[in-house]
Amino acid sequence: MEISIIGLPLLASIIAGFFGKLIGDRNSEIITSLLVTIAAILSAIVLYEVIFNQYQDNIVIATWINSGTLDVNWSMKIDSLSAVMLVVVTSVSSLVHIYSIGYMSHDPHKPRFMAYLSLFTFAMLMLVTSDNFIQLFFGWEGVGLCSYFLIGFWFKKDTANKAAIKAFVVNRVGDFGFALGIFLIFYLFGTVNYSEVFQLIPTITDKNLIFLGIQINAIDLICLLLFIGAMGKSAQILLHTWLPDAMEGPTPVSALIHAATMVTAGVFLVVRCSPIYEYSELALNIITIVGMSTAFFAATVALVQTDIKKIIAYSTCSQLGYMFFAAGVGAYNVAMFHLFTHAFFKALLFLGSGSVIHAFKDEQNINNMGGVYKKLPYTYVLMIIGTLALTGFPFLSGFYSKDAIIEFAYLRGNTTGYYAAGIGIFTAFLTSVYSWRLIFKTFHGEFNNKNIKIDETHESPLVMLIPLFLLSIGAVFAGYIFKELFVGHSGTNIFWQDSIFFLKPLSTEHPPFWFLVLTPILVILSIPISYYLFIKNKNLTKQIANVNKPLYQFLLNKWYFDELYDFLIVKPSKNLGLFLWKFFDVKLIDGFGPDGISSLIKRFSLKAKKFQSGFVYQYAFVMLLGFSTLLTFLIIK
Amino acid sequence: MIAHTIFFYIFSIIAVISAIMVTVSKNTVHSVFFLILDFISISCLFIMIGAEFLGMIMLIVYVGAVAVLFLFVVMMLNVAQQKNQWFLSEETSSHIPVGLIISTIIFFELIIVIGGWKYKPDLFNSENLSIKNEISNTHSLGQVLYTDYIHVFQISGMILLIAMIGAIVLTFRQREGVKKQSYLKQISRERSEGVELLEVESNKGVKVDD
Amino acid sequence: MTEITLGHYLTLGAVIFTIGIIGIFLNRKNIIVILMSIELILLAVNINLVSFSIYLGDLSGQVFTLFILTVAAAEAAIGLAIIVVYYRNSGTIRVEEIDKLKG
Repeated sequence: MEISIIGLPLLASIIAGFFGKLIGDRNSEIITSLLVTIAAILSAIVLYEVIFNQYQDNIVIATWINSGTLDVNWSMKIDSLSAVMLVVVTSVSSLVHIYSIGYMSHDPHKPRFMAYLSLFTFAMLMLVTSDNFIQLFFGWEGVGLCSYFLIGFWFKKDTANKAAIKAFVVNRVGDFGFALGIFLIFYLFGTVNYSEVFQLIPTITDKNLIFLGIQINAIDLICLLLFIGAMGKSAQILLHTWLPDAMEGPTPVSALIHAATMVTAGVFLVVRCSPIYEYSELALNIITIVGMSTAFFAATVALVQTDIKKIIAYSTCSQLGYMFFAAGVGAYNVAMFHLFTHAFFKALLFLGSGSVIHAFKDEQNINNMGGVYKKLPYTYVLMIIGTLALTGFPFLSGFYSKDAIIEFAYLRGNTTGYYAAGIGIFTAFLTSVYSWRLIFKTFHGEFNNKNIKIDETHESPLVMLIPLFLLSIGAVFAGYIFKELFVGHSGTNIFWQDSIFFLKPLSTEHPPFWFLVLTPILVILSIPISYYLFIKNKNLTKQIANVNKPLYQFLLNKWYFDELYDFLIVKPSKNLGLFLWKFFDVKLIDGFGPDGISSLIKRFSLKAKKFQSGFVYQYAFVMLLGFSTLLTFLIIK
Repeated sequence: MIAHTIFFYIFSIIAVISAIMVTVSKNTVHSVFFLILDFISISCLFIMIGAEFLGMIMLIVYVGAVAVLFLFVVMMLNVAQQKNQWFLSEETSSHIPVGLIISTIIFFELIIVIGGWKYKPDLFNSENLSIKNEISNTHSLGQVLYTDYIHVFQISGMILLIAMIGAIVLTFRQREGVKKQSYLKQISRERSEGVELLEVESNKGVKVDD
Repeated sequence: MTEITLGHYLTLGAVIFTIGIIGIFLNRKNIIVILMSIELILLAVNINLVSFSIYLGDLSGQVFTLFILTVAAAEAAIGLAIIVVYYRNSGTIRVEEIDKLKG
């Protein structure tokens, strides 16, 4: 039964991909959505088993590599961690499939889209159910590939192609570090299966290696290399540049890949390798710092963005920073909890924004929207639910997960913890400011669109609203229902068992009360603040922007990361490539090789051609020459 | 032996000069004439030196046949009319110095061989092939040619035969419009295609159709 | 120099040989001169052979000269036949214009 969870999306992808033209658009949509929904139901059953019957299994499907000491199998490892991820991936994926039926109704390439979505689901499921690093890497690359397909889905658009390549290349940088990490694991342990590696980790805690001239602890190195891969996949700072550009893809893609599943693969990796990370203080600290910086950075940039999807993309980036931050302080279960809830409300937000874009006839700039909350009632309400969940409004799901992260940071006790907690609170405040900014600018105020009239905006069809509704249920209740299970303060983690490893058990204290209510108060306060700033008194924002023009430009240009990378990496690489091509390839290699030799031969044969003059007397002369030479030679000898 | 010397010098100088004139003269017929002169002087030299059969044969064959053949061809090809300059095209005049240098090199090498041989005499003595001064050159040649060198003699006869056939084959061409009888066709005609018996009725003729 | 030795005859042969060789590639007139130069070369060889034969008392030199004569005649005939046929086909026997072998 478990195998069908990963088999059904693959089957759906194959059917829609290869036979889509044959069976027609509507049929391919229905088949893929149906199969993935069945997989979602099956994963819910598996999760039920895991929760209530402590079901665990490692199903080996087939042997993949058996060479020397390398023994890799296609397998499905079902434990609490993978069961949670199964539910997240399949449920969001099935809802996105159903949503796409409505969203892509005007698109001529529906079967291809559905096939890519299902293929992505399959790759992600392979990633989360693997029991060894190689299958994980297979799924990792697979989701990167599907991300490339899906971002560049409208391949006739130049920007989409560029964004797809950017996503793939930046991911590749991360994958390089990840692959190095896997090589290192194999080098140190001789195996890549989780169970064996995790058992052997404690034996090499003292081992030091020389890497690039620096002496570093082996476990630290492994963790850092694996984290580089996670940074790439989850768009942490330095390797985040692909995420905003990935919004070139259709909105369902953004909802599935860049909200719920692919970007969470990095978090999943870190949590799955918690037995390794727990032994590496250095790596955990670095993860914390990176996560926090990402959260802060993304929140500041999101404040000034004008594209509705980019705001939500930066919001995702920021929330991922939170998740990594949680993992960095050792609270892996909290990170998973936040991942779980985040999937629901972020997918809700994305799909809702897709609904808005659909209503505004493909307008994505929030400055050109406004005042349609009466026209799009359902979308409006559902977006508000999503925003409340995102910002951590009390008693919605984000509240439980995000505040748990900040609590654990505080409970760390050291200065890093306090500092990080402070930044976390401030970032939460910024999060709610920009989230409400998005809501107000989109739905309130005047109608600013120049292209269409306000009467032409209409609500989305039911096929798009139902997934939104289902996601909103998750956004509202998932936090409360699963709170005890995921982050229960019962001291022992009955649910997580072996899937997450804690070197020292998490503290079960509670932070002081004022701390607990600080964040919610700030969040609630931010609603009227942002209303004031963005609706009532727009001039104030303009004045702030004008006064702090450099700061505003800095934020607007995403902290100039793209320009920096362009200057540092892209242009030098391009120039290097050009130089190597023009000079080495053309002049040297071609000059000595094919071109040079061929022109040399040509010149020589042109000269040699002169011998064949056709005049007999010249031939006789040459014979005479030879004869005299021979004679001279013989005489002298 | 003074006469020997004088005659040798006379004949050799005539031979050399006419050899030079063969290559140099503008008129091709003149070239052929100088070739004839060359042959004559050399055959005189042979007669003087004692190989009279060879000298006579050279006169007959070379002068009488080969040179006349040259004349025929010169006449046929209308070459004599061309008033050519000595060196027709300018771009090839750089060949002359090179050619002259190479030829002088060859000449001196030949002389070196001669000189070198003079100081290293190893004679080949063959008794039965020695020149007997009693019998004439012709007689002695005839004694040797048909006995010891019979194979070579026959082969040289065949060479001549093949040369004759070759020359005919090369230059043969069919003339158009010449009526010829092909006796092969005549002989190979069968009765069945030549004769036909017909019943002729009286007072009626025979229609012959062809 | 009054005594005529073998060397004189051989020198004569060498001179005529060289002149024949010059005639082959230094002439610009027509092909027939080349054939005549070839005859000159053969003549020079004949001189050499006969003089050797007389001076060494060996008759085989003259026998061989006879055969060279034969071959020279045959070759002159064939060569002229070729020239005739070539002239029929291309209309010229000027040396510069015979470059069909050019490649």
